Amino acid sequence: MIESLGLTKTFSEFTAVKDLSFKVEPGEIYGLLGPNGSGKSTTMKMLLGLLRPTSGTARIAGHDIINDVVAAKRVMGYVPEEPVLPERLTGWEFINYVADIWRMPRGSQRQQDIEELLTLLDISDASNDLIETYSKGMSRKISLVAALVHRPKILILDEVQAGIDPRGAATIKEILNGLRSKGATILMSTHILEIAEELCVRIGIIKDGSMIAEGTMDELRMMAEGQRNLEEIFLALTGGPDMQRIAQYLRGSGESS
Amino acid sequence: MTSDVLTLLKLDLRQSFRPSSVKGKRSEKRSSFRRLIPLVALGSFVIGISLIIVLVGPRIWSYVEGAVISDPGLGATIFNAIVLFAFLSSIMVSATTVGNSAKMEYLLVMPVSMRSIFLEKTVLVVLYNSILWLTIGIPIFVGFSLISAARLALLSAPLFVFMTLMLVSLGVSLGGLIGLIFTRLLAGRRALKQVGYFVLSGGAIIFSAYWYYSIYYGDSGGQVFEWLINLARSLGFSSNITPGYAASVLSLGLLVGLPLTVQDIVLALAFALSSFALLRANSILSERAHYSGWLAVGSKRSSKKLVPVLHPMWAPRAIPIAATNTTIGVSIWYNITSVRREARVLSQYLLGPVRIVIWIVLPIFAVGEQSLVLTPYLLAVALIPFAISYGVYFAGYEIVYEGKNLMNLQLAAANMEDYVKGKIYSALPFTLGATVVFSIIIAFLSQSMLIYLPAIAASSLFVTLASGAIAANAAAIGGDFKAERMILRQRGSAAQMPIRGWSILRAQFAPMLLGFGGVSLMLAVGFFFNPLFTYLVLPVFSIVCLQIMKTYAHGAGVKLAQIEATKYL
Repeated sequence: MIESLGLTKTFSEFTAVKDLSFKVEPGEIYGLLGPNGSGKSTTMKMLLGLLRPTSGTARIAGHDIINDVVAAKRVMGYVPEEPVLPERLTGWEFINYVADIWRMPRGSQRQQDIEELLTLLDISDASNDLIETYSKGMSRKISLVAALVHRPKILILDEVQAGIDPRGAATIKEILNGLRSKGATILMSTHILEIAEELCVRIGIIKDGSMIAEGTMDELRMMAEGQRNLEEIFLALTGGPDMQRIAQYLRGSGESS
Repeated sequence: MTSDVLTLLKLDLRQSFRPSSVKGKRSEKRSSFRRLIPLVALGSFVIGISLIIVLVGPRIWSYVEGAVISDPGLGATIFNAIVLFAFLSSIMVSATTVGNSAKMEYLLVMPVSMRSIFLEKTVLVVLYNSILWLTIGIPIFVGFSLISAARLALLSAPLFVFMTLMLVSLGVSLGGLIGLIFTRLLAGRRALKQVGYFVLSGGAIIFSAYWYYSIYYGDSGGQVFEWLINLARSLGFSSNITPGYAASVLSLGLLVGLPLTVQDIVLALAFALSSFALLRANSILSERAHYSGWLAVGSKRSSKKLVPVLHPMWAPRAIPIAATNTTIGVSIWYNITSVRREARVLSQYLLGPVRIVIWIVLPIFAVGEQSLVLTPYLLAVALIPFAISYGVYFAGYEIVYEGKNLMNLQLAAANMEDYVKGKIYSALPFTLGATVVFSIIIAFLSQSMLIYLPAIAASSLFVTLASGAIAANAAAIGGDFKAERMILRQRGSAAQMPIRGWSILRAQFAPMLLGFGGVSLMLAVGFFFNPLFTYLVLPVFSIVCLQIMKTYAHGAGVKLAQIEATKYL
């Protein structure tokens, strides 16, 4: 289970996350949505122990992220928004290295598990190449393999499907649904609202570091009266595009070349 | 913790040294020659030193043995120098590692304490800093221990390894701690931080140059430590409490069979424990620095209040005379601005050539009084490394550090020849500054050279133009466009040059040949015939330099325009 208990993070005078509390139960996919710069990644980084909260705390499977961070990390898998990976290792070496760090026993079972994940995500062919040769989508896929290889109870995914091909995106969706049904706790952020609507059991929308709405799709529909899908709900709650400025820009740009 | 550190070390070392080729189809296949050349070079060096020891050792052994027996602290100066060099080269290492921690996010999310990760990075720096000393020292100790009649002489080599690692750990961790404390004090004060970086980096360069100087001139090469020793004496300690002394007395003592005293062993153990404690302190402070955000980049922070930004008119023109078109003007502005904003880089670029000057000039001085006749000439040519280096750094290195920005330039169909020229021109103000400084020095120290001053000043500017173009062309051929402008790269923390292979040799040596050859020729005709002849050669030399610039800037521009995106993306 993930429990965020009044997480707050300030950078100098700027408060990125304000008193954020939410809970993600086992067997649940929770979508953390919000405009750019709303504090989603900062929240995730605090949950991962990469940033220390200015106040408040969080518990990951019962482990406090301030006092027991290594134990908390041991049960988590994470896919960052922009994976920065060891470029001079091959994909295969990197995954085995991750498995070593998570102290997975070496042997044929481990090799089989890794091979299976690489094949599932269509990067088995490239696994002997240096990571520096990977495309963005491939880096994200290898990052997902690294997050899944030690079979974590809890997954934190930051824009996991961005830049992934349709087949890969569908595979990821199936994997996540499968893990959820097996009792995994999954927290994901995404800007692709159709995916959030389809996958997430509950959704939290944050703006300027604060939670402005939280609940199931039905609960969110009730909050944003008259809106049917998640995109309409999201725009109603966080503000839609500035049509006047768009029109002004389009008038100024004239005929495109 | 130890097993975590070892696993992390394995990862970093695996990234840096890969003797076997990568199997994948997408990866560049490097020939066995290229893969094995560092190992072969290292092996040859070790075998070379071993051979020398085997051949020469027996003849000089009695002298070495006698000298060590009469003064077991003989090697203290060299061993202390190891600490000093490790310290100087590591001042900003920990701060840089913490500052770049976003680049190792994949490590930070692993179930390993952050302290272990930062400790491993420091240990890696210790290993890299030790390679040179161990490569030189191990064959010497092994060779002499085979000759020595002392019973435990063979143990001196492993003890030397241990002591060297201890000395380097002391230097690296102390340097790292000072850097971290420095960044803590300056957290949030960008301008002051930049000044501080400049002063510290500049100080380190000058200090290391002074150290070379002391090696040539000092009786024992230990003058730099004199004030430290005096300070220790004034505090009631003896001069034998330095880590270098402990390392010397144990390793050399064992080599010649001197009995080891309890005091010496305790002293060595105290320094070893201190180095462990300092390494640990470094990792703890690094973790605190990471969590506290001392090193967070100011530009990533948002303002609390919404402040409407008003942009001034866009008209970057750093050197109006040289800015013959917009591309050149923008290139000059971009180059100077990006270098100026990194005080460490600026100080390395501006003062770095001091190291070259020291190595070129001092060996000649070391010959003795008869070389004093060369002083005016040496003072004059000491300007050349500056003129060359500024060209190489500002045009050669900086074109590589454009990295992904090359895509924007290619998409905009910018005239890359002009862009390269802009980079070259951006070095000129700095060469001009160095020329002014040297002119003042020459005017005070050697009036006989005054008549040549205008020629030297003018030729140094042309040397910068030609050097920059040669280096930019070499960079376009052999540049690593994914390199980042850092002293240590985070890709496995291996220090790598931005220009590789033969290209770096071309970028460095061709300008040297041109600069020293041309200026020496100009001065020689003045010395031997008439100063007027110097001024007759000057226009010829200038035209040659301009022609070189034109040809190589064009070549570099064409290559950069055609470079494939995979090289920089």
